[in-house]
Amino acid sequence: MALTAQAPEPAGALQRDVRIALLGNPNTGKTTIFNALCGVRAKTSNFPGTTTAIRTGQFTRDGLHFHTVDLPGVYDTRLQTPESRVARSVVTGERDEAPAATVVVVDACNLTRNLVLVGEILTGTSPVVVALNMEDLAERRGVRIDAGALARRIGAAVVPTVARSGKGLDDLRAAIVAAVVAPPPPHPADLPRADASPEALTAWAEVVVTDTVSSPIDGTAVDSLTERFDRALTHPLLGTACFVGVMGLLFWTLFTLATIPMDLIEATFAGLGNLARGQIPAGPIQELVADGIVGGVAGTVVFLPQIMLLFFLISLLEDTGYLARAAFVMDRLLHRFGLPGHAFVPLLTAHACAIPGIMSTRLIPDARDRLATVFVAPFMSCSARLPVYVLLTSLIFADRPGLAALVFAGCYLLGGSAALVSSLLFGHTLLKGRARPMVLELPSYKVPSLRNAVLTAKDEGLAFLRTAGTVIVAICIVMWWLSAYPTVEPSTEVEALRAQATAATTTDEAEALLAEANARETSEAQAASFAGQLGQLAEPVFRPLGFDWQLTVGVLTSFLAREVFVSTMSVLVGAGDESEVDEGVITRIRGMTRADGTAVFTPSTSAAALVFFVLAMQCLPTLAVTRRETGGLKYPLLQLGYMSSVAYAVAFAVHQGLRLAGMA
Amino acid sequence: MSRSASPAVPLNSLEAGAEACLDATELDGDTRALLRSLGLTDASHLRVCKTGEPFIFQVRATRIGVSAAVAGRLYVTRNGTALAGLNGSNGPHGTSA
Repeated sequence: MALTAQAPEPAGALQRDVRIALLGNPNTGKTTIFNALCGVRAKTSNFPGTTTAIRTGQFTRDGLHFHTVDLPGVYDTRLQTPESRVARSVVTGERDEAPAATVVVVDACNLTRNLVLVGEILTGTSPVVVALNMEDLAERRGVRIDAGALARRIGAAVVPTVARSGKGLDDLRAAIVAAVVAPPPPHPADLPRADASPEALTAWAEVVVTDTVSSPIDGTAVDSLTERFDRALTHPLLGTACFVGVMGLLFWTLFTLATIPMDLIEATFAGLGNLARGQIPAGPIQELVADGIVGGVAGTVVFLPQIMLLFFLISLLEDTGYLARAAFVMDRLLHRFGLPGHAFVPLLTAHACAIPGIMSTRLIPDARDRLATVFVAPFMSCSARLPVYVLLTSLIFADRPGLAALVFAGCYLLGGSAALVSSLLFGHTLLKGRARPMVLELPSYKVPSLRNAVLTAKDEGLAFLRTAGTVIVAICIVMWWLSAYPTVEPSTEVEALRAQATAATTTDEAEALLAEANARETSEAQAASFAGQLGQLAEPVFRPLGFDWQLTVGVLTSFLAREVFVSTMSVLVGAGDESEVDEGVITRIRGMTRADGTAVFTPSTSAAALVFFVLAMQCLPTLAVTRRETGGLKYPLLQLGYMSSVAYAVAFAVHQGLRLAGMA
Repeated sequence: MSRSASPAVPLNSLEAGAEACLDATELDGDTRALLRSLGLTDASHLRVCKTGEPFIFQVRATRIGVSAAVAGRLYVTRNGTALAGLNGSNGPHGTSA
């Protein structure tokens, strides 16, 4: 039951809606308690004016409707970190009124350090409820905390809880009600002042622990199993091997499992598009709905499986305590380039897709380090680049598949190197300073919570749809419109082919002629579209890279998504809207010619295009997510400008270098 | 402020299992503040769990991992020689803690 310092009064006379805050050190089980209190209705959003995520949820008890703010895990609300600033702002009521009560979740196995935060909050005006979590674990370690004595000693309700099993949660709800309806008890006489140093608060916490804990837990007791695991998992060789194994498994799972719902989503939306074409009369409205809106929503929803699965897996890994150890393993390499060890998850994730990669930079505690990682993550070769790499390496090395494979792997190396070098560069310019030296709490190893992982995945997926998703839908619709309009009448050549098809003697011949007519019509429409016109207008800009207007159109349309480059080139060559890179498509694209009849894809042009696609941003949805994560337009614009400039300069050097070497 | 009679040595010069007491630091303000919030307050007792990279030590019930470079800027006296009033103390090379 809840052990309170003062008896509650009836709740009937109070307002129905009550705002409370949930605070605690990292790794205390705060998220589990929040999930247990608020269930699946919680939502994640950025705290106003910041890019720090908070969760909000509701629960009702004794006629009171509690709006609960789950604050980021912090050790001290007075630190100059975004998380501490947000926690301080909410708890002290800097922006809105202070919460009616603050629930501080503490780790019963690490009471002294956790009581320091409790002491800080007690100096405020809101009543405090302490959830003494992981009480079972503390008991197993022989630690007996007298919760009643602790409540009297600190002047706040103390509720022993085991969040994973749900033990004590009903008492916690009752204690929250009691704290809200009763006047707050007086502060303990020996509580240090609000501006007290951590040393003073720690000294107070030590005295409180001495008074209320029968077997001291805050010694430097040796946990030999944890020590052995730590030595292995942070060892230069063994730790690296474990890291490669764990990350390999994570990304194998991500790539393998995410493709199933992604294929399903694509098939479902393709069906919806066909349904719209069947139901709506032919014309601009049909095209808008079937291709623009359905296509745009599909282009957004298709990212969800990767995002949700990634956050599910990261949540599981984080819960185990492994991520903190892995961050040290990677810090050895990344720190030299001005990136923190935590950056390995975003950078690896970006190999699947830069969008979840950038979203996962929230794991990085330092704002400068987070921004540096957001900036360079899109250099990693994402899965959308794969069809482009396959096409262009096949064009360059038609009869040498071994060389093509080598260059293919080189693309990954080039992207990764560009990310690391760029990070070094930013460290001396835009984001001056080195990555903060690694200082991390190494939490206890635990069995991860499936429920937490599922709820995290759901929250992150919904947050993506609410913010970046809406922008991505709009981008998709605009890009579709640019590629589809203005429409043009079929040329005389197309009409002639159709006439020949009608007069054909065999069905096969008729179908072949009709297919050619359709492909040519699509190609002409693409050339006459706004995107096509823009391509022709921008062609002089890309001419130094060896690109003609068709390649330029491919570059412009692929701003929607890189893989669109393949289908655009396919359309322009009259092979239909093929997104699969098979031999037929490669052969036709290899045969593309410029206005003067020379080949478009010479070795130097193909190599320049390949390098351009490795290094260029070329992904508007990623820019939308960068905007969301950095809280403004400044950084996405800088990212676009920087990556495009690097891509252009290197592609120019490659094209001109190969020409000089006689490989035009 | 009072200083230990025993010589302060960099934390990373200690072997695994050694116990010591924090004497002074040569860290930037943010890193020092983070360590204090993790429980490594002035004059804290600590036990070395693992040397090298990362350097792991335990303060009360908290295990803290730091890069070897950070460990080299934490100055300790062996065997937990107690000190008082180190808030804002200067490191061996004169940098504010």
